[in-house]
Amino acid sequence: MTDLTYAQIDQTVLNTLERPRPRYWVFVALLLCGVLIGAGCWSYQIFTGIGVGGQNIPVAWGTYLINFVFWVGIAHSGTLISAILHLFRAGWRNPIARAAETMTVFAVCCAGLFPFIHLGRVWQVYYMLPIPNQRLLWPNFLSPLMFDVVAISTYLTVSSLFWYTGLLPDIAIVRDRSTGLRHKIFRVLSLGWTGSHRQWLNYSRGYLFFAALATPLVISVHSVVSWDFALAIVPGWHTTIFAPYFVAGAIHSGLAMVLTLMIPLRRIFHYENIITMKVFDNVAKTIVLTGLIVGLAYGTELFIAWYSHNPVEIESFRWRLFGDYAYGFVFMAVCNTTIPMLFLFKRFRGSIAWLFGISLVVNFGMWWERFVIIIGGVAHDYPPHSWGLYAPTVIEYGVMLGSFSLFFFFFLLFCKHMPSVSMTEMKETVNHGG
Amino acid sequence: MAAETCIMGLFKDDGTAARAILDLEGSGFAFRRAHSPVPSHKILDALKLKKGRVGWFTLAGGILGFFSGFALAIFTSTRWDLIVSGKPIISLIPFFIVGFEFTILFSVLGNVIGLLTCCRLPDYKGLEVYDPRCSGEHFGVLAACESSRRGELMNFFEKKGGEVRIFE
Repeated sequence: MTDLTYAQIDQTVLNTLERPRPRYWVFVALLLCGVLIGAGCWSYQIFTGIGVGGQNIPVAWGTYLINFVFWVGIAHSGTLISAILHLFRAGWRNPIARAAETMTVFAVCCAGLFPFIHLGRVWQVYYMLPIPNQRLLWPNFLSPLMFDVVAISTYLTVSSLFWYTGLLPDIAIVRDRSTGLRHKIFRVLSLGWTGSHRQWLNYSRGYLFFAALATPLVISVHSVVSWDFALAIVPGWHTTIFAPYFVAGAIHSGLAMVLTLMIPLRRIFHYENIITMKVFDNVAKTIVLTGLIVGLAYGTELFIAWYSHNPVEIESFRWRLFGDYAYGFVFMAVCNTTIPMLFLFKRFRGSIAWLFGISLVVNFGMWWERFVIIIGGVAHDYPPHSWGLYAPTVIEYGVMLGSFSLFFFFFLLFCKHMPSVSMTEMKETVNHGG
Repeated sequence: MAAETCIMGLFKDDGTAARAILDLEGSGFAFRRAHSPVPSHKILDALKLKKGRVGWFTLAGGILGFFSGFALAIFTSTRWDLIVSGKPIISLIPFFIVGFEFTILFSVLGNVIGLLTCCRLPDYKGLEVYDPRCSGEHFGVLAACESSRRGELMNFFEKKGGEVRIFE
């Protein structure tokens, strides 16, 4: 990284903003089709009723809530990389910080859609806002669902502002090296940033405060999401371990998504000199750490169920291991805790193919973890006559496809129109000999 | 009053720019601004600036948010004071979550207002006396002098190893 000059950094990143090839637009169009399929399925559900989804008693929370938790989790490592590692002065995060922050913003947008979709009568969404309804009733802030509304909207606002603030000096670089319409757009977006001493003095302080505030926020948001479950008296949900368990899982899945996104980005945009193998090596090592924490959480849940001598809890976890969705438990245990341990070996951390493959496996495993937790809890709770199974319908699969397409659609548009690597932070790395 | 000319010295590194700033003191030329592609401690040290005031905006936002969050949760609970699950109407522990989230939200909003205020953004007029190279790899020092001393200021920057750009 230290071999690069400021000019080379600028040139490498600005080259990515050149006019895209037709192949790029083909990918964009394909993803747009996915988005439209999702939108179509949601529209069908709005006109027909929430019953077109597979959610029913006893499993009233299906893939909509699974995807909500999944996307919130993906968002978390963006903040980990941009805020927490910034506070720790971990210079290796600089090349991937921008893409990770972008991932955070788009993932929270995708997550934020699912409560709307799950509502069914989406036009009554204002019931969740702190305004009185026609009977002058206000939302009840004793409910964890209201904690969620406050936490997710705060997270979306904070991560978007953090992202834009970080972009500001880079937008000015693009403004200064572009002409025509792009120059005009970036001139407005740059807010007239000139990198004056007064601006840098306050910007550095402000960015530090952003990072310091985002750090407790990121921990609180996924804790709040976990309390949607943990505050319900449902076996498998009602545990105090949920908050740290969810936070660790969120960072685990988010780091995997960082690899999933950055590996193709590095190759397509020729970022090899900027995003070095050392960066991936460090992400992989962090995945080992989060994988171990997640594994410890899985083990602790099982141990406490056995140690509690509570027959309902024991039955719930016996069923999780050997019941109808035992395959889900195998997926989550193997994909999230066993396979990532391959990263203990340098050979796997040093291979792009293995890094990419394992990142996909962890993403898959983390989706299944949410399936096991969310479905498993209510499908098999107290009295046997209330047990039941759940399977997603075509409409739910369509909405899920739509959400994944939307995420990659936004990301693809961003990469070609905004600097996907922070030129300023890379220059700082060079300046400090990092 | 004599007409004033602004001249910018453009340097390849922040150390040279910082030395030029230090030497500007007592030279009779008026220092206006320094521009750099990255935050530079050398330049800020040379300018002997105090810490930015953004933190005060952040703190004010945080205090406002903490009390607003609690106030909102307490107010909405008292609008329909029905005891649910034996929980008190005003339950401080669950309301702490709302208070906490509002603290962060308002702190960040305060931080953004502070940044815009202290950085004086948006400021499109500032681009009129600015060299685009300063966002790339140059460190610019902008100084002003009477038009009659223009040559002296140019020589000053050139002697320090900088390129010169004149803003009429």
